[in-house]
Amino acid sequence: MPLFALATAALVAAPLMLPMFAMTLLTEALILGLLAMSLDLMVGYTRLISFGHAAAYGLGAYTCGNLLLHTTLPLPFAVLAASLLTGVVAIGVAWVCTMAKGVSFSMLTLAFAQLLYAVAFKWTSVTGASDGLAGIPRRAGPFGITVFEGKTGFYYLVLACLLGSFLFCRALVNAPFGAVLRGIRENEAKTLSLGYNTRLYKIAVVALSFALGGLAGALYAPFAGFANTELLFWLFSGQVLIMVIVGGQGTLLGPILGAAFFMLLEHVLSAYTESWALVFGLIFIGFVMFVPQGIWGLVTRTRRARA
Amino acid sequence: MDLLPFLLTQSLNALSQAALLFFLGVGLTLIFGIMRIVNFAHGTFYMLGAFVGYSAVRFTGSFWVGLVLGPLVAGGIGVAFETGLLRRLYKRDESAFLMVTFGLTLVLGEVIRLVWGVEALQVPTPETFAGIVFLFDEPFPVYRLFLAAAGVVVAIAIWQFLERTRLGLLIRATSQNAEMVHALGVDVKLVRSAIFGIGCGLAALGGVLAAPLVTASLGMAANAIIDAFVIVIIGGMGSFLGSLLAAVLVAFVQVFGAYYFPDFALAAMYLLMLLVLVIRPGGLLGKEA
Repeated sequence: MPLFALATAALVAAPLMLPMFAMTLLTEALILGLLAMSLDLMVGYTRLISFGHAAAYGLGAYTCGNLLLHTTLPLPFAVLAASLLTGVVAIGVAWVCTMAKGVSFSMLTLAFAQLLYAVAFKWTSVTGASDGLAGIPRRAGPFGITVFEGKTGFYYLVLACLLGSFLFCRALVNAPFGAVLRGIRENEAKTLSLGYNTRLYKIAVVALSFALGGLAGALYAPFAGFANTELLFWLFSGQVLIMVIVGGQGTLLGPILGAAFFMLLEHVLSAYTESWALVFGLIFIGFVMFVPQGIWGLVTRTRRARA
Repeated sequence: MDLLPFLLTQSLNALSQAALLFFLGVGLTLIFGIMRIVNFAHGTFYMLGAFVGYSAVRFTGSFWVGLVLGPLVAGGIGVAFETGLLRRLYKRDESAFLMVTFGLTLVLGEVIRLVWGVEALQVPTPETFAGIVFLFDEPFPVYRLFLAAAGVVVAIAIWQFLERTRLGLLIRATSQNAEMVHALGVDVKLVRSAIFGIGCGLAALGGVLAAPLVTASLGMAANAIIDAFVIVIIGGMGSFLGSLLAAVLVAFVQVFGAYYFPDFALAAMYLLMLLVLVIRPGGLLGKEA
């Protein structure tokens, strides 16, 4: 994949060329890209439409924020621990949610996310209620490494997490595990009758998806320096789903592009008009109606046409 | 306060709340029953109703004009949206509907913000029902009594409409077997447009009626859509009686929960929903498990 190598090289070299504010935008885009990619495992590969992926993000962000505020854990370990915890919590969530199928599954994920949202508003000692957690530090370490304290160093940490997660996900969907997921997507009854315990696979993919979504949230907390209930709000879950669809579901790279597109569009549109949500909604409707394969589908189709 | 009068007034309170939840949920469940789609924009139509109600009171001085106008405007937009966009998506999977209606939520919400602004708008209670009455020596707003009564009237009206009219018959038939209805020479597309319009109109009716209690604000849609989903899921997707039952159940949980466990009131509704889904994945009166 020469294009992939080129893109990676460009991302690695980005801090040398881009001004500071653009780096901040890019860092956030990569974090959102990681979140959207994690949702793609569920939506694109298994047809488990989650309307509560903000739960993964918020859980990761609040856990990492608390670890950085109240313990002396170094930044990378705090991020990792938050991601793991989110994945473990997701096993319980998935166990309940996979009792239902189709639209009911979507609604259950939404209910869980909203339950978490309600809890975040009330559990003041842990979440800071409506004020949220503020002043989350980027602590140095481990072994005296201070590079993650700076913006550029933190950018590389985010980039490394995204690349690592992408390679992991790609290996996963190309492995037999991924084949079973696609089997569930196309025809769950058939997959079940072939002897696969589809519910276990679904729980596993939700847990993995949440762990990576939690990783994204855990990176967001020290990036922004705060975590608040907005991260858990249902509208945000919807936006992440938009990123996946607009980018191209079931492609892993597409949702990352979708997240970057979303960020860029919001940034550009909000500079010109206050009603960016109006334009955004219209673009989104247009994508669902006329480009169901998403941006990534457009890219690959153009490349194939040229070849 | 004595226990019995307290229980009775709070129950009346819960019933008025149930009426609002019912208007919200019944439209969504009817739309789902016929079209197998989840209308994410339902809360936004509810909000639209409240704002149209505000303008009607402001320009005509009559709340009742708003009560007619709100559902008409929302129903009209709903029909236009269904014929313009949704109709092209019936061959696609259900997630396409969810997402297109989510897009409509963004667009319609923004249009409402542009037309009415960001301030919450106070809608005066109609004069006929503005006062309070004393029940068991406790003051109780007349408007809430009116709401509870309106809920009962509308519920009976919808029930009779579904049971006794030709369109109601077609709606019930289409929800059971759309292909057969189509084969019998009925234009199913028209039935779908009609039910989408009716559903959106019912949501707006709830919005107009809720406006004097909660003011018309941009935050309405988000809360309303969640409430509507909860009602539909608890009651069972597509079940008219289920939505009525769920509205009453949720309203009682909300009202009494807010009194006895103020810290957990918000969570109580979701816990109830999880409980119902774990026991009956298809909802209380739903067909599908």
